[in-house]
This record gives sequence, C-alpha cells and structure tokens, in this order.
Amino acid sequence: MAGTGHAPLRDDPNVLLTIRDLEVEFPVGRKDVVHAVSGISFDVAEGETLGIVGESGCGKSTVAKSIIRLNDIKAGTIDYQGNDLATLEGEQLRQIRPDLQMIFQDPISSLNPRRKIRDVISEGIAVWGNTQGAWSQERIEELMVAVGIDPKFGERRPHQFSGGQCQRIGIARALALDPKVLICDEPVSALDVSVQAQVLNILEDMKNRYGLTLLFISHDLSVVKNVSDRIIVMYLGKVCEIGNADELYERPRHPYTRALLASIPEPAPTVDVSEGDIDGELPSPIHPPAGCRFNTRCQHVTDICLTEEPVMQQVGDSDHFLACHHPVEVSVGVS
Amino acid sequence: MADLQLTVEDLYVRFPTSRGVVEAVNGVDFSLEKGEMLGIVGESGSGKSVTAKTLMNLLPRTAEVDGTITFEGEDVRAIAAEKRKHFWGVKMTMVFQDPMTSLNPVKRCGEQITETLRYHMGDDKATARKKAIDLLEQVGIPEPAKRIDQYPHELSGGLRQRVVIAMALACEPSLLIADEPTTAVDVTVQKRLLDLLDGLRRERGMSMILITHDLGVARGRCDDVAVMYGGRLVERAPTETLFDDSRHPYTDALLRTIPRIDQPSHTRLEPIEGRPPELINPPEQCAFAPRCRYAQPDCLEAIPPVGGVMGKHEFACFHPANTDRGREALAANVAAGETVTGLQIQGYAGVN
Repeated sequence: MAGTGHAPLRDDPNVLLTIRDLEVEFPVGRKDVVHAVSGISFDVAEGETLGIVGESGCGKSTVAKSIIRLNDIKAGTIDYQGNDLATLEGEQLRQIRPDLQMIFQDPISSLNPRRKIRDVISEGIAVWGNTQGAWSQERIEELMVAVGIDPKFGERRPHQFSGGQCQRIGIARALALDPKVLICDEPVSALDVSVQAQVLNILEDMKNRYGLTLLFISHDLSVVKNVSDRIIVMYLGKVCEIGNADELYERPRHPYTRALLASIPEPAPTVDVSEGDIDGELPSPIHPPAGCRFNTRCQHVTDICLTEEPVMQQVGDSDHFLACHHPVEVSVGVS
Repeated sequence: MADLQLTVEDLYVRFPTSRGVVEAVNGVDFSLEKGEMLGIVGESGSGKSVTAKTLMNLLPRTAEVDGTITFEGEDVRAIAAEKRKHFWGVKMTMVFQDPMTSLNPVKRCGEQITETLRYHMGDDKATARKKAIDLLEQVGIPEPAKRIDQYPHELSGGLRQRVVIAMALACEPSLLIADEPTTAVDVTVQKRLLDLLDGLRRERGMSMILITHDLGVARGRCDDVAVMYGGRLVERAPTETLFDDSRHPYTDALLRTIPRIDQPSHTRLEPIEGRPPELINPPEQCAFAPRCRYAQPDCLEAIPPVGGVMGKHEFACFHPANTDRGREALAANVAAGETVTGLQIQGYAGVN
C-alpha cells in the first residue's frame, strides 16, 4: 500500500483517538466502488486540534464521518479509550456517542427549522438525562452565553438567526453532552469572512474552556493553519503529509502540499508560485492510479512513483511525516 | 485620462417584497477604463451581484432601477428593444458562479457555444463548430474536438467553468463580468481559472469586472479594487493602495479579520462584531457604524458621502482609518471602552 504506514502514530499516553489503516469504499453502479479512503493512519492527542486539508474528493469528510460511524467502514480500526469504534454496535456504540460530537458545514440546514433553539440545544441532554445528569436550565443558558447567544432568544427558531449565529447554536448543541472530541466539518465555509473569525474564536475558546479535542476539516489552508496544532494533507483517499502546523507550512516537503500552498491567491512565501501549476484533472476515485496516487499530476514523477506506493516516513526527528519518493528538499533551520 | 469603457452613475436598485422594500444598491458610482480589471469585493448582501446583474439587465421585472449606465458612450438602459438582443452576450457578457447551473444539462457543450455564434454572428453550422473548437482550445480544454460533443455532466467542475468562459468569449466581448467565477472550485483549479481569465483579458485587451468575496483573489488579479458594504461602494483604490493603506474602517477590519497563512497557528483573530446591515428601511447613518470601532456621533447623523481623491482613492467615511482623524476617533473610543453605538472594544467581550 502506498501513502500508508504507521510512522505518524505516536506512542504517547495522551493519545485519545488512533485511526489505523482506515478504508472506506462506496459502491457505485453494479460492481464499481469509489475508493474514498484507502488505508490511512493517524492519531489525535488529547487537547490537540488536528486539521485535515485537501481538495474535494480527497476523503477528508469521509474520515470524519467514519469516526462517528455515519458511514460504513470497510477495514481498519478506530481506537478510542480502548474501544474500537469501527466495530462497536448497538448499545455500546450508543453509550460512547455522546463523547464524539460533530458540527456541520451548513449551519442553517443542520438545525431543525420547526424547533425552538432551546430545544435544539437541550435535546441531547433530554435523551441522556438519566446518565449524564438531569436536564438543567442553567446548563443550557451557560452554553448559550458561552457561544454568545443571549439566552432570552431561546424561544426563537433557527430562521430568526443569521448564518453565523446558527453555527454558534450548532456549537452549543454539540457541547451540550460535554463531549471529549468535537469534529468540525468545514464549519466556516458557508459563512462570510466577517463572521468567520467570530466562529473560529469561539471554537478556540470552547476548546480551552471545556478541554476539547478538535478534528477540524477545511479546504481553506489559512483557516486550518490558524486553528490547528497538527495538520494532515490528504489527496485521493491517502495521506500525503502530516506534521506540526507551523513546521508543515514553513517547510512543506510533499509536492502536493507545496502545490496547494502555491495555488492559494496569496501564496505562502515558502513555495514558488510555479509549483501550483499542477496539470490535468483529479483522477477517478473508482480507478485510482497505481503507485503514488498523485503520480498523474506531479512535477517530480519518475518510474518508481508509477509502481510503488510511497510509505509514510519521518522527516529527521521532527513531528513531520510524509509519503513521497521524491520529497522536495527545503533548507532546515531558518524560519 | 484613458478611454472610459463603462461608467455607472448614481445607481439605485430596490426590490419591493412583502416585508418591505429591500434597498439592495444605494447610489453606486464607478467607472472602468478600457482593458482594466476591476475587483468588486463584498460579503453576501453587499449588493455586488445585484450591481453586476443590473449591468447585464438580468434583474427580475419587479426590481426598480434608477441611475445611468454608459457603455462605450451609449446609454445602456436606453438601448432600443431591437438592438438589445445583440448587445448583452455580445459586447458585455457574464460568467456565473456555478458552472453546473449556467450550462444546460441536456445539451452538448458544443451546441451551447455554437448557439451563441449562430444567433449573434450569423455563422453557419460548420463555421460555428470550427470556432467553438477553437474557443475550447483557447480556454485550455484538452481534446477540444472530443469535448465539444460531451454533455456538461461528463466534465469536471473546472472544465465546465472553462466551457462557460468559452461561451462568454464567443462573440469577442469588450467587457466580461465574472461573478464569483471560482467560488465553487478547489484552490488548484481556482488558480488555473484565474490565470486563464487574466491571460485572456490581456490577449484581447478586454475589460473585466471580477466580483468576489475573497480579498486574496482580488488582490492577486485586479488593477483596482472596490469594496461594497450595505449596497454602497465604501472604498475604491488601486489594489496596492487599498491593501496597504486602506481608509474605510470596514476594509481595514476585513483585512484584519482573515486568518493569514504567514501568521503562526493559534493567532487570535480580530472578529468584526455584530451582523451585516438590514437592507429594509436602513437608518440614515453610516451602514457600518454599529460594527465600527471608529464610530463617532456624526456617523449616526448622516450617510458619509464618497470623498478622498476622486479617481484615485475614494472612500466614504467621516473618520477614515490610517489618518489622524481616524486615529483620534479610535483612541477616544478605546479610552471610553465602547463606541457611540455601544460596541465594546476592550478585550474580547463575546459576540452578538
């Protein structure tokens, strides 16, 4: 397998969630399958924010949804506090779900338009009332204040709020059950820039206040850098590069990471704009290329890339791993 | 002064709705020189797309439009009915945000381009087809002779948008309006589309209006950038001036609020508190005042007129940022801990 390998997995007691060789496939037509996620491994330490970037179709949302079991998993394990989330079923799965909550991209359609927002936020508590402490009015109000929604608006319905406010209500709902892990799938993509910062700041505050571990998915490289401690770059169901956020942007080694950083309208100073000229189209995930999956568009491609899949390797002794046969050399030390 | 291609004077657009009259565009003035690329930046509801649609005569019938639009010396709103059909889509064309909905899904890509050529230019079938293949090649579509017979759903988003661009260019327009042309595509595709548009406009000496919510896109590509807020043009300047020495507090706040790739991670962002302005019955005051850290009592008494250096750096603000007057206003507000509209500006005081 290429782009795989367990090198990035840390042997650290603080690791909360370990994803190992995750594979997800979706059937299309009679016999074809979309290889959405093909054997990726990574872990998330407690209190860490892990960013996942990549373009549409790279499998970043599928990874997130797999962790909370919103789609079927073909192979691999998801270790969370000794439980394998990939195989848990029934009541055991139900018991663990409050720990993992998610906020979605479209803030308005992810709230039920017919319900009052107080009920939207409190539903989880109402369901889990027996085990998670009784329903409490104060808890709801505390959450609303925390995300900056005046509790006196609790009787209103979602359409009476703006997109940014709806996203904050979504955050309050996700926090109601006191989760350990919060998965954010493009939480600010649908928001205007002036509101985006409000939501990002709230996520950061909530993380500190409630000791959350965050999985933050976005296609916006600047946003991901701002919120993340560690970042994963994905391409066509594979991991290209994993590393400490500042390190990864300062010294990107994988040609695809560099292409992304060179393509944004105000390119990162660490790459050359010409590196963003990647030709051709994203290959079909139904028949992904053999060898390195980026080989159809890479500027550094050689024969080995066509046949042999690169394995994740550590760069020096830093928190930086990549899967590439021809990593780009960058000067080390200066920042 | 170079040749003016387009002038828009005192443009007002209103939409009567059941909840009241939406004042979408409120007195917008701007002009565009031949061959210039103007960026119009703003958030949803700022009136940027409505302005574009007004130029293209694409507004619904219920819209009430007032103002003058002059294109190459001709009053656009007074074009005789029989000349109209060969004006829009020929001299002035537009590219929209979503390439899937701007292409007809049940027609081959080629037909959608040749249709324009045959209708407007009177080309015969064979000539039109030849021209269409040519156009597809110009917009960088590989194997144009094969793609021309494909349906839109067979193409990727990036290729579809190229087909839309080819359609828009078919009749050799002198002005192309691109409304968020790359919002629906990924960054690597975005770069290639913007490179393409930029190249084509230089090759053809075409003027372009690029409408976007992404300040970075505008910064990298435009000669001049105009910022819209609440249906008004609040600032316009040559790109570099606007980004390095902005005057309107909204522009300033926007530039500060976006996360930057050169900042270390976990840099605290400076949000713009509050929410976008109401467009139904807006009060007679600066629309940005409730969210502005520079706001003073006079901001609530009148709508600031467009001032500054006309044709160079125009802005509509009584207490512009990066000037002494602005710094004084900001210092007074910081000392008081809040602005005249009650906006808290000491530390982080939550939002709403």
